[in-house]
Amino acid sequence: MAAVEHAVMAQPASESRRAARRQDHVRRIAILFLAPAAAFLLVLIAYPLCNVLWVSFRYANLVDPTTTGFAGFDNYATILSDEEFAPALWHTFTWTAFSVAGEYALGLTAAIALAQPIRGRAIFRGIVVVPWVIPIAIAGLNWIWLLNPDYGLINAWMVRLGLIAHPRDWLGGIDTALLAVTFVNVWRSFPFYTISLLAALQAVPRELHEAAAMDGAGPIRRFFVITMPHLKAVSLTLIFLHIIWTAINFDFMWVMTAGGPLNSSQTMPVMIYKYAMQDHDVGAACALASMSMGFMVTIFFAYYYGVRRKGAR
Amino acid sequence: MRLLKIGLLVGALVAPLLASAVRAEPVTLDFWVAWDPTQADAKAAIGQIAEFEKTHPNIKIKTQTIAFDALHDKLTASVAAGQAPDLSWGLVEWLGELNRMNALADLTPCAAKWPERDNIYPNALQALTVDGKLLALPNYLGLRGLLYHEGQLKQAGVAAPPKTWAELIEAAQKIKQATGKFGFGIAGRGVRSPQELLMYLAQNDVEVAKRQSDGKYKNDWADNPGEMKHATEVFAFYRQMLDKNVIAPQAAGWGWEEEDTNFSLGQYAMVIDGAWMSGRAEQNPESMKDVRVVPPPAGLKSATFFEINPFFVYKSKHPEETWEFASFMLSHAFQSAVNPNRSPRTDVQGDEIWGKPFTSLTPIGVSFPPVALGSITRDMEESIGRVLLKNEEPASVAAWLGKAVNKSLRQTGEISTQ
Repeated sequence: MAAVEHAVMAQPASESRRAARRQDHVRRIAILFLAPAAAFLLVLIAYPLCNVLWVSFRYANLVDPTTTGFAGFDNYATILSDEEFAPALWHTFTWTAFSVAGEYALGLTAAIALAQPIRGRAIFRGIVVVPWVIPIAIAGLNWIWLLNPDYGLINAWMVRLGLIAHPRDWLGGIDTALLAVTFVNVWRSFPFYTISLLAALQAVPRELHEAAAMDGAGPIRRFFVITMPHLKAVSLTLIFLHIIWTAINFDFMWVMTAGGPLNSSQTMPVMIYKYAMQDHDVGAACALASMSMGFMVTIFFAYYYGVRRKGAR
Repeated sequence: MRLLKIGLLVGALVAPLLASAVRAEPVTLDFWVAWDPTQADAKAAIGQIAEFEKTHPNIKIKTQTIAFDALHDKLTASVAAGQAPDLSWGLVEWLGELNRMNALADLTPCAAKWPERDNIYPNALQALTVDGKLLALPNYLGLRGLLYHEGQLKQAGVAAPPKTWAELIEAAQKIKQATGKFGFGIAGRGVRSPQELLMYLAQNDVEVAKRQSDGKYKNDWADNPGEMKHATEVFAFYRQMLDKNVIAPQAAGWGWEEEDTNFSLGQYAMVIDGAWMSGRAEQNPESMKDVRVVPPPAGLKSATFFEINPFFVYKSKHPEETWEFASFMLSHAFQSAVNPNRSPRTDVQGDEIWGKPFTSLTPIGVSFPPVALGSITRDMEESIGRVLLKNEEPASVAAWLGKAVNKSLRQTGEISTQ
């Protein structure tokens, strides 16, 4: 009996040892599979980030090899004392806010339209993606020609329709350059919103709309009371992602205006580039990049903890 | 016997390896260019390079085409990363920077033995020499003349092209009244705008940065009221051109492409431009058929921008082959085929419209000082915008530019303390 009991007690012990060994084995396999991704993150993201932070506290000049040494906060002071820093910050805020708002509004409108049971819906859904798949450099160059005051179609149409009396140099005007590029960015990016919101719209139960309609709720009320709450999670994710993507966007601004005329469309990414490649002051460029990263991280954590708190409730 | 067989077997196995070591692989030279592959000069250059490779089977040329606006930043990044090409096109404005980065090969010893040296314009070589070292070779000369549509001037009753700033303004106003088209065009942004500003400053006897006795440079406008006055007059001239309808308002935002395209289409009457416009004449024969070339209008004196577009030769793993190719590109055969109208060779003169009228301006040509020009040219571009777009006072713009130039020289360690 005691032998049987011993054998029975030994079985769970050996099974638990086997289970532990299996878990170890699974853990090792998991580490092996994660290793390439971890190496990628370390080499291509962590190392450059740490390097930028490190260089931001050092003197570094691209054309003057004798410029070296610990700078302390000198590079940050250089940025903060640059008269173009505050305008660049404001331009970044304006460009981001108007872009994201425009993309969301246009994307939502397009998603609602494409969710309707109309003929050729599949074709329209395909066409709406086109602006998003065109490479930014190509799109930017094309829009430069479209907006050209001498030869551009946009000016020609606007004059013909009586919207403006004379062609305007949209990209060459201090007051209009930033908004012109923002408009092009909205055109380019709204399809991403459309696709994501369209998918979310399709998940809204039709019965809710039917029940609300039977209770006398009109389409606008149904939209705000039923549809929008279902889109909230997707909308918040899209908006926060695009706030970060837009704020750090360099391509459109550089291709279309290079931050001009007279820095009127200069955003922080463009300013970072100019510090590094035109002023050759790599230390200051890294300082500005670190500050920019700080702003983005703050926005991300605000969103992350806001969502967590909401989830906890 | 057995040993012999083993020895023969080993020899047979090793021999191909030895043979391949002796048979040297061709050297591949990376050559970054900014030509337009659809233009005649690029096609001629590609043909000439193919001929060179036939006559030099040990050298292969790998060309990469990059737009001028992007070429500078790509070169800077590549040099900083230790990945510079063997040769590249460039602008003379980049000579100081690349020299500071210690990227360029010293061509002085090779040039001393070069039999063709005496066939190159001496001031073209001089402009590419820093502290006695030849650091680049001239690719083509971009002397700027006044190009004008004779038909538009005749229509406005302008008997002869303008010789002074005042005559330019007067002629342009007559042209605007008679034809409805603007009389003149400028580049308000991009690589060409600081070149044009340098020319107008030189025409008014002003230098953007002067070499001091310690070998370094300084802008002395703030210390010299006469210089500041002349610099102010240049910005006042820009402002006058806008206020008196000499230039189109959007010209403040034109780069070299808009300037050249609009002129070649006859959108305006006169421009300061270079011999490359012969390519535009081939593309637009109708609208360019009445174009003539004369010296640019003068301010206090005659001057024009002497653009010596260089080949930059970098410190390469293959210096002999690189020199072989670089000197080939300055041969009579290459220059006659590729740059007949803008060659740095004295024995390649060019035709009566696109050659001699430009090369005759060599004595009045001025160039940028050989310092790192990155933010200086950007500040010069911005100064034009301040006058034309922000409507700032010419005197305050001149003072601002003087300070900005010295700040840039300080940042690159090239400012004189005298």
